[in-house]
Amino acid sequence: MKIMNITCNDRDRIFEDGTLAEWAALQAHAATCPLCAEEVRAWKSLSVAAKELRDYSNSPSFWPRIERALAEEAARKARRGERWNWFSRLAGLSLGWQTALAGAFVLLLTMASGWIYIVRPVAPVDSDKSLLRSSALKEVESTETAYERAIDKLAAEAKPQLENPATPLLANYHEKLLVLDGAIADLRAQAGMNPSNAQLRYQLLAMYQEKQHTLEEVLEAKQR
Amino acid sequence: MGTMGLALPWKARISSRLRERGTRVEPSDLAGGPSPAVMDALSEDAALASACRSGDLRAYERLYTMHGARMKNLARNVLGNAIDAEDAVQETFFKVQRGIASFRGQSSFVTWTYRILINTCYDARRSRLRKKEVANDDSEETPRHEPRAPGAHPSLRMALERSLAKLTQHQRDVFLLYEVEGFRHAEIAGMLEITETASKNTLFQAKKNLRMMLEPPRSGAAETR
Repeated sequence: MKIMNITCNDRDRIFEDGTLAEWAALQAHAATCPLCAEEVRAWKSLSVAAKELRDYSNSPSFWPRIERALAEEAARKARRGERWNWFSRLAGLSLGWQTALAGAFVLLLTMASGWIYIVRPVAPVDSDKSLLRSSALKEVESTETAYERAIDKLAAEAKPQLENPATPLLANYHEKLLVLDGAIADLRAQAGMNPSNAQLRYQLLAMYQEKQHTLEEVLEAKQR
Repeated sequence: MGTMGLALPWKARISSRLRERGTRVEPSDLAGGPSPAVMDALSEDAALASACRSGDLRAYERLYTMHGARMKNLARNVLGNAIDAEDAVQETFFKVQRGIASFRGQSSFVTWTYRILINTCYDARRSRLRKKEVANDDSEETPRHEPRAPGAHPSLRMALERSLAKLTQHQRDVFLLYEVEGFRHAEIAGMLEITETASKNTLFQAKKNLRMMLEPPRSGAAETR
């Protein structure tokens, strides 16, 4: 085998990224060059010393500890999965069915709100806690506006994930948010007609909270 | 870390066996495509990922059996003690379980797992630093190594640990991954999201610095022949 010609100047390059043939040539050169011989020895001794930092002793209690943590997390995940199972099934339906279901949901919500409004107990204005007084109403409306603005910011952050959902879960979240937005718009319209109706405000708040929760989960999914 | 335009070795495969140390030469010089053994390992890696994705705890146990000791050793060398190392490894398994649904197979599953481990160690180190700052301790954050079972050369190990602590984080990590844990540059590149060339260069700089710290050249004799 022909040994290539190596000089001291090639040493660092070979240390960094030398081929087998170059290493062989360097060793041959080092046989006649004390400086390179010393450098090659020192270089290799670092690799030998590195072995001292290797300790693969087994700790018998370690895997059971990890396994327990993983099993607990799996159980938590399963519980969360059950919660959103409905939306998974929804994603399996055709677009027409999904639209019909969303419409039915909004209709149901509207009817329930209307029913609550109609059958609500009529009592003197002063004693009815479900009706908001004008000063309280102002406070509720300003808080609601601030809350809505904060959720809009959250929605803007989650928008890229939702517009191009990378996973079926994100697509489900997208669908859910569309349904929630529909319900919120409807409730807002009703609240506009009955600004003092606290029941409507509570329902609206619940919808906003659900939307916030969903957006947080979208953002959490993004971070993962 | 910017990776645009860089050819990252996504298919870098990690063997659970340690390679022999010495003058290691990367297999990129060897001609031909991936060997059947590499293809087997790739499919084994994909099978392991798939089993973990399905939530099979035995798959995680297999991952632990294959890599647990090496993961813990790496974490201990980065963090300096066994307790933090075990916490980091457990947290890594936890993150793998939580994030497996988003694993797209762009890198090997095991490379991805080690990347999570390294990032978890970075986080642990940062959080330790924050705690120190709160406690008004202004000493620099370098791993303080706890005593270990004596090896063949305890004084050599301690000297190496002290010198490693003086390297940059990047140099230290590449040295530990290559020289101690026996990974290839292609694998390290995948874990640290750098190029293979950058990994080689960083190792060279790390070893050069360690050499200067541990064993300074005796004379300034003429270099060139």
